[in-house]
Amino acid sequence: MIALTTPYLWYTTRATGIVALILFTMVVSLGTLVANRIGGTIVGRFEINELHRSLSMVALTFLAIHILTTVMDSYVPTGLISAFVPMTSDFKRVGVAIGAVAFDLILAVWISSLLKLRIANTSWRFIHWFSWLGFTTALVHAYMTGTDSRTGIGLVLVATCGAVVAAAALWRFFGRPTRAAGRTALSPLATSKDPVRATSDAPRPFPVSQRPTRERGRR
Amino acid sequence: MGVRRRSGAFILQVNPILCDGFGHCAELAPELVKTDEWGYPILKSDPVPLADAGTYESARYAERGCPRQALHIHRISEKKPH
Repeated sequence: MIALTTPYLWYTTRATGIVALILFTMVVSLGTLVANRIGGTIVGRFEINELHRSLSMVALTFLAIHILTTVMDSYVPTGLISAFVPMTSDFKRVGVAIGAVAFDLILAVWISSLLKLRIANTSWRFIHWFSWLGFTTALVHAYMTGTDSRTGIGLVLVATCGAVVAAAALWRFFGRPTRAAGRTALSPLATSKDPVRATSDAPRPFPVSQRPTRERGRR
Repeated sequence: MGVRRRSGAFILQVNPILCDGFGHCAELAPELVKTDEWGYPILKSDPVPLADAGTYESARYAERGCPRQALHIHRISEKKPH
């Protein structure tokens, strides 16, 4: 491996690790919002989903920089293989091993999402459950190996990220809605004082204009 | 993007077994999808010509954006009389 001795690689490793942890916290939380069917009135549900997908790409970019700078830095003796295979690093063997497990889990979730249109949806969902485990291992990795995560603001940050995702997990498992939780938009039925209308055959207004919809021509 | 075939038509179809009523399709393709009172989609059953690029784009967004992968675009080469 290329031996580089500039300290800035190590600083980049630390900084991108922290940012990646924050970003993955946001990605997991947004995924919980999608799964619990938040949105549909002020913001669309599809918008939360798109934000979830886009932010995961940003998080993966930061994770890639975090891993590449660690591997390239000669200050700590870790090789490229240690990013994927646990217990192969000479530097903080257990902590880096947990990080490798987290990276493998995140890779599995990412690749299954890339193949989402080609694989069975149940397979994708099964693999997507591992994002919880991936985040948890990443959090443990952050606490064990992080230079800044034992004291001061770093510790507060790691604890906050853990608390946010723990709250999201509790909400996901105990607060999830029933199979179909009703209309997504501002429905005349949602605010109707006359619930009989819900089952009547009479034609009813359909407020397409109030519904958050994708703007034409936007990517 | 390549050359888009202008002849023919498509119908957006839903697999009701997979559908869990997330409602993303109704937001992504409002011209093709309405929801019933439980949030499940009611799809436009008439074939839409592929020449209607905007509607086709919406259908592709809905197909891609479905959290349960329950939608697919069924292409038909000729307009069926109905």
